Amino acid sequence: MTRAEILDALTQIVSEILADDLEGDLHLTMETSFSHDLELESIELVALAEAVQARYGAHVDFVAWLSELQLDQIIELTVGDVVDYVLRASSGAPG
Amino acid sequence: MSIEHHVVALGQGPPVVLIHGLLVGSVAQWYFTLAPALAPDHRVVCYDLRGHGRSARAPSGYDLGTLALDLASVVRDQGLSAPVDLVGHSYGGLIALTYALQHPGAVGRLVLVDVPLPPGGHDWLIEAVEGGVEGLLQALPGPVRQALSGGGRRARRTMARLGFLIGQSSLIADVLAQEPLSDEALARLPNPTLCLVGEASRCVPAMAHLAGLLPSARLQPVPGGHFVPTSEPDALQRHVVEFLSG
Repeated sequence: MTRAEILDALTQIVSEILADDLEGDLHLTMETSFSHDLELESIELVALAEAVQARYGAHVDFVAWLSELQLDQIIELTVGDVVDYVLRASSGAPG
Repeated sequence: MSIEHHVVALGQGPPVVLIHGLLVGSVAQWYFTLAPALAPDHRVVCYDLRGHGRSARAPSGYDLGTLALDLASVVRDQGLSAPVDLVGHSYGGLIALTYALQHPGAVGRLVLVDVPLPPGGHDWLIEAVEGGVEGLLQALPGPVRQALSGGGRRARRTMARLGFLIGQSSLIADVLAQEPLSDEALARLPNPTLCLVGEASRCVPAMAHLAGLLPSARLQPVPGGHFVPTSEPDALQRHVVEFLSG
């Protein structure tokens, strides 16, 4: 699994969440912030977490990782943070 | 009338249902805080109340009787076997108490987090009645208020949901018309109960009253105000995990 593959998967997941609000294709970078740039609601972050967990559940405990973050850290979360976490967790290194 | 609920479930073990409060509550307040802490040892079920989060925008049915029926439908649809532990924040705590009174034997332990009495004495409700959606937003924890400022996509969606609940549903009328729970009935409720209260919350007297009334209740103050799940997630996790695992 590479960073580019995880980024593609996240792009697909976020596109489905944004659905109606999306005009054209979604372009995510590692710096894209879920809260500031994409303006996801907290309830949509839950949908994102559910989708990431469903996709990578065999390797990652994404929800447990999120639960260790403070609320302001969750608000500051970027696409790169999630990509790095999935990569780290799936390579067997401590999350 | 029964409606479609958005349900999120985590973990395996004895069942516990987490019930959020009115207006600004949703499964998100548990999903990033208490739910993952309980999931290693419990089947944790969170659901969005009617009109909230991703559940159906119901125009009516915000009285405790209907909301307790909604909880019963979630318990049934999720196939949870008794006893089910219940954790309720704010109005969610009143839903938990109503359900426990209506279903003796079906509920195990109760955690009541900053519950208002009388039901219409709710912090958020007072803010909404006195100041509308803007008044309500002013009462939110800082990070949440910041996330809603600026008029972007998230703010628009949240405002639309709050506008529906406050302006187009019967929520406020239902809550103001809600009969208080009977002290006599509550005094007979056998469930071991943890009463968590924000030290700076308007709900301090209500929680002291409940803790004194319920036969097996313990009062546990935590720092901060009404919105314990998002302002004090560490204290919430510590006390609830210890209580439900003991």
